[in-house]
Amino acid sequence: MLGFRPLPWDYGVRNLLRRPGRSALTLLGLAMVVFLVLLVSAFVRGLDASLVASGDPSVVLVHSLGASENIENSTVPGGGANLLAASLRHIQSRFEHKYVSPELYLGSEVTTAGAGEPAMGIVRGVTLSAPLVRRQFQLIEGHWPKSGEVLVGRLAPTKLGSDPRDLAIGRAIQFEGRSWTVSGRFASAGSVLESELWCPLEDLQPATKRQDLSLVAVTVSNTEGLADLEEFCKERLDLEWQATPETTYYAALQTHYGPVRSVAWLIVVLVAGAGVFAGLNTMYGAVVGRVRELATLQTIGFSRRAIALGLIQEAMILSSAGALLATVIAIGVLNGAAIRFTMGAFSLRIDGLVLACGLGTGMLIGVMGAIPPALRALRMPLVEGLKAV
Amino acid sequence: MTRLTMMSVLGATLTTTMLMVGCGQPAAKPTTAATTSSAPKIDGTKFVLAEEPADAKTVLEVREAAKDGDDVVIVGRIGGDREPWVTGRASFLIVDPTLVPCNERKGDNCPTPWDYCCDSDVLAKSKATIKFVDDSGKTLANDARQLLNVKELQTVVVKGQAKRDEAGNLTVFASGLFVRPASETKTE
Repeated sequence: MLGFRPLPWDYGVRNLLRRPGRSALTLLGLAMVVFLVLLVSAFVRGLDASLVASGDPSVVLVHSLGASENIENSTVPGGGANLLAASLRHIQSRFEHKYVSPELYLGSEVTTAGAGEPAMGIVRGVTLSAPLVRRQFQLIEGHWPKSGEVLVGRLAPTKLGSDPRDLAIGRAIQFEGRSWTVSGRFASAGSVLESELWCPLEDLQPATKRQDLSLVAVTVSNTEGLADLEEFCKERLDLEWQATPETTYYAALQTHYGPVRSVAWLIVVLVAGAGVFAGLNTMYGAVVGRVRELATLQTIGFSRRAIALGLIQEAMILSSAGALLATVIAIGVLNGAAIRFTMGAFSLRIDGLVLACGLGTGMLIGVMGAIPPALRALRMPLVEGLKAV
Repeated sequence: MTRLTMMSVLGATLTTTMLMVGCGQPAAKPTTAATTSSAPKIDGTKFVLAEEPADAKTVLEVREAAKDGDDVVIVGRIGGDREPWVTGRASFLIVDPTLVPCNERKGDNCPTPWDYCCDSDVLAKSKATIKFVDDSGKTLANDARQLLNVKELQTVVVKGQAKRDEAGNLTVFASGLFVRPASETKTE
């Protein structure tokens, strides 16, 4: 690098400010591309994070054989929870209360006061054991539901497509042929549980005319617990039960959503590719309009390498600024925004990987968009450049 | 703008970028509660019989005739569930050998033929649980696949003691196992 004299740093910056209109439009275009990349990446990461957060390594779901991919179709006798609690060691307990949660889980048409049409919601009939097993459960407002009451997940309004005010404490909602009063709201660390409605199991069973359960969720106290549960289910063949670790259940769902994630990442690549071409176009325009200026720089002693570097610097400044602008907007607008999907709802998530994707795309557009015009500037004969109009 | 000022701006931009990237919370990795066993390794060859025990009866026959505590020799094929094994334990399911797994039916390409999903109507009453236990009656904490070098759909002849319950379930506390050589058959 001895003897290499680059263009002054502020020359490139001033050049951008010399054409404020073009620079501003390019900046906005780049910011839009990066914003789209951030949006799609945040969607994928949010969906993944929701399913990952939903699986607790110490929780095992006991359901009917073959229903591991659709637990709504599972049916376990009403006494299943007591049978498991009585038969197994290695179940976590506190004050002699075992962490065994009998649950009735179903999709149901839910009508809120403000909605004309019922919407498909997810309802879980629970007992007081549910918060013990679902360790991420947090009651953020109101109280645990009494008879005829329902607890609403933080993302339930998104899942139902309804106004959050229609699910406020004290409001009445209808499902399974009866009216329920909202007693409170809960969160669950971003898991899919947050899009559900929780009501007392002993109320939901008569409302649905069922006496059975969908599943029994069990918290095991050590690694022997899962093997105990599996062995119990294999030995009690008459019950036709199956024990599935909760993490395995949600990992299978993640696999189910694999094609959606693939398409989303493909969109990221396509949007980024389109951004590179847009950057190329802009920088070509910038070089074509400045042929004489670049030739003059060569005449006064700057090497072609220095000029090419200066062009890349200009593009990088613009693309970095665009990427940062998009990132700031995305953090403000997208992060935490709720999205509805078949299993419930999840929040868009702007995390480290998403930011790296967005900012990396911005940088990539800057470099890739500037290199071809910079090479063109290097190849241009000096005399022709000076004569250019 | 001086060069120093511009370098400061660039430095600040890069630092901001690095901080933003670094601030994201790493996603929690799910782990299965029990996928490995810390139990001492047991030599499984002592359970593997060199010769097939005589007078083996099928799962259906044993379910029909055996009482709690009877000595039995039972023959069946490993399967009856998509996951016939108990993770980390010397226990598995066998199915009556008269049932035909999906891969032995012409034109069927089921990816998990050992679950016998084609015979789901009679499957529940054609299964038995095999367990290898220690002196205290506790199932050995070694995965049967590694302990006995067995896999799905192998035909095994198991010698042991029957345990029956009120619901009619059959569990065999095994003392020895013989693996029959595989034979290729296809059923219409």
